[in-house]
Amino acid sequence: MISNLIKRKVFTLLKVQYSNMLEYRVEIALWAISGIIPFFMLNIWTSNNLNEGINFSNVMLSRYFLCAFFVRQFSVVWVVFSFEEDSLMGKISPYLIQPLNPFFRYFAQHIAEQITRFPFALIIAFFFFIFNPESIWIPNLGILFLSTISTFLSFLIQFLIQSIVACLCFWTEKASSIERLLFIPTLFLSGLLAPVISFPEYVKSWIYLTPFPYLIDFPANLLSGNPTNISRGFSMQILWIFLLFPLFKRIWTEGTKKYTAMGS
Amino acid sequence: MVKNIIDVKNLSKSFDISSKEAGLKGTIKHFFRRKTKSLKVIKDISFNIKEGEIVGFLGANGAGKTTILKMLCGLIYPTEGSIFVSGYLPYRRKEKFLKNITLIMGQKQQLIWDLPPIESFYLNASIYDLDNFEAKRRIKKLSEMLEIDDELYIPVRKLSLGQRMKSELLAALIHEPNILFLDEPTLGLDINAQRNLRKFLSKYNKETNATICLTSHYMKDITSLCKRVICIHNGSISYDGKLDLLLKKLSPVKEILIVCRSEKDAVQLENAGFIVKSKTKNEITLTVENNFITSALRTILNNFDIEDLYINEPPVDEIIGKILIKKNYDI
Amino acid sequence: MKIRKYLKVYAKFLHTSLASEFEYKTNILIDLITAIFSLIGSIFLLSIFFQNNSTIGGWEFEQALIIQAIYTILNGITNTWFNPNLTEIVKHVREGTLDFVLLKPIDSQFFISLKKIAPSGFLEIMLGFCLLIYCAIINQINLNLIFLTLCLITIICSICILYSLWFFISTTTIWFVKTWNATEVLRSFLYIGRFPLNSFSFSLRIFFSVFIPVAFITTIPSEVFLGHYQLWKILLEVMVAIIFLFNSRKFWLFALRFYSSASS
Repeated sequence: MISNLIKRKVFTLLKVQYSNMLEYRVEIALWAISGIIPFFMLNIWTSNNLNEGINFSNVMLSRYFLCAFFVRQFSVVWVVFSFEEDSLMGKISPYLIQPLNPFFRYFAQHIAEQITRFPFALIIAFFFFIFNPESIWIPNLGILFLSTISTFLSFLIQFLIQSIVACLCFWTEKASSIERLLFIPTLFLSGLLAPVISFPEYVKSWIYLTPFPYLIDFPANLLSGNPTNISRGFSMQILWIFLLFPLFKRIWTEGTKKYTAMGS
Repeated sequence: MVKNIIDVKNLSKSFDISSKEAGLKGTIKHFFRRKTKSLKVIKDISFNIKEGEIVGFLGANGAGKTTILKMLCGLIYPTEGSIFVSGYLPYRRKEKFLKNITLIMGQKQQLIWDLPPIESFYLNASIYDLDNFEAKRRIKKLSEMLEIDDELYIPVRKLSLGQRMKSELLAALIHEPNILFLDEPTLGLDINAQRNLRKFLSKYNKETNATICLTSHYMKDITSLCKRVICIHNGSISYDGKLDLLLKKLSPVKEILIVCRSEKDAVQLENAGFIVKSKTKNEITLTVENNFITSALRTILNNFDIEDLYINEPPVDEIIGKILIKKNYDI
Repeated sequence: MKIRKYLKVYAKFLHTSLASEFEYKTNILIDLITAIFSLIGSIFLLSIFFQNNSTIGGWEFEQALIIQAIYTILNGITNTWFNPNLTEIVKHVREGTLDFVLLKPIDSQFFISLKKIAPSGFLEIMLGFCLLIYCAIINQINLNLIFLTLCLITIICSICILYSLWFFISTTTIWFVKTWNATEVLRSFLYIGRFPLNSFSFSLRIFFSVFIPVAFITTIPSEVFLGHYQLWKILLEVMVAIIFLFNSRKFWLFALRFYSSASS
């Protein structure tokens, strides 16, 4: 019964947020375009034959970056900015009175936007294939399924990390600055700009202990059919979620206790 | 002869609004093609305002008061018709014109939030080409008029709403404009702050002969400040003239409150053929037209032995409230 | 006469902005750390590119560092002047206080562009300069007056182009209110400025010179710095800067006309 209630809440939230998203057509398109960095990176890699040293063929590299684009599109998180804005405008108070953790609202927002973005991402992939006909491939259903799961897990990890940072809004006004700081290792170490396999050895020795390579590199390699350690990948993703979720709950409870409204 | 400082002829304004059907299907349709329709918000209005007048724009929500005010400031372009303010076309926003006007909007502030108001004053002073000496003089004069002093040196975010309002006023008036536009200035203020604002505006008008145009929902603003009122209903002017004339014409009635000796008397009065506004136990309020006051009083005093009697004007709010819902009336 | 007034007003802007900003000192520290990490990350990425190649697009590693330095300086300028004002205009449009700006007897573009300043960006500018000086040493650059003048001219042009791009985004708030999306798109494209223009394939080189002159902004000043400049390129950059500035103003005036016809 309780799960039904939750399901209904989630469904209604999704429906409302989806309507919201459709209002902002241009914004969604822009958002999809802003994920374009992987393609530029690919261009640098292939134009200068940088992949010769790492045993990655041009085709593998193209597919990797295309998949990195997709994974990024469907795992990008901006909850800290929404939360900070809402807390500055004093919207958090009414949310706190409702019997629903406001982060569910943001979660629904993100999923809704990803659904809206899907057609735009497909269009971009289509253009990609036109320019790189030799990289065209269709992954088999099993791989598609597994990579969808791993992308979702990557999304969860990033959502949890950002939500934890967002809760810092209860203590400081500059949570978004902290997020911008944390974004840097995500940008460089997740495989968005270069596949982890190309990193020097001294980095590869510790990077697999951090959550970063599992954010883009693992799902992208999985989807593109490049060699990757599937069991390690999934187990690390799940491990990080198990570590982050209780941390989030804890900091959320502490934060709401300390809450002071910051509106007019 | 006092010139017209504001001259409006056949002014109209239309907006394009996008419309959407409700529900998910409507939202998806809306995603692919937006329907827009043209909405005429201001319909062919004309009026003149002389220098030194305080004019109130009265009307229900959405009637168009704020749109008219913003057109007078030059923030919105008219669709048809002509506007002249101080001889300028407001929407050209010439520098000389801008130095002569000011806009004050209720619950919207231009002061810098983290700094004391005094910093914002000097910033405004430099924007309006005032040197430091002149700025200081004006700040002193206005702060005396507004009765604020030490608050000017405390960051805005730490001030109370009333203090903030006074500081906003000072910031808006530092360049001594000739024409003041106020859009719902008392919105969100407590009774004291409202009273202070009205007192100040009245004083400012007397001392500087500044023209004041204000829009408000609060009747007290209009009745205590404006001798002249322009009523806007659905984008057209339904009345433009003296306020007391309007009140008189709209409500040629008085209320008679009678305190009877017993409840039986009150019930009898109730059934005596008068219009009864309200009755509680042995008190009864009758509404009587001005022409019939004398005869009504005679009837009551002749036939009833009453304890006390009061004759009142009906509350102004009620009268003006009638204006807001009445469609049109012959004045 | 007019110029004195505008200078005086700008001095007041500086004063009020700095006075506000110093209320939030931690921000400055976080932003500095972010700038340092970002630079480290980009150099790390660059080293990955160079690990098996000695030149990319005709640039050696030590030379590519110059581009990083100039990018850091320009990024610092963006964070000092352009970003805070973008946040301000979003606030104005959202709270309805843009009207106050339009009613002041001062040019609205001047007011909107320069009202705020974020001192934390200064540190990033200095960081870039330090790196630039280091590059001058390791590349054995000969500093003379002509050289410095040309460098200054190209950097000023780069700043103008950058300003026009940011101001373009600021202007779109009049329609969209929320600008994270457009800002993210710009940031993504600007990131390309960290790499030499010639490291991209031919078609992208055209794209990044003509349509979104990002690589233009950093590569040309870097070439001048190295002494490999060609006069026609410098003139081209000056022309592009003028065109962009002119169009940014036209677009702003267009947006104001729209605001004045369509808002209520």
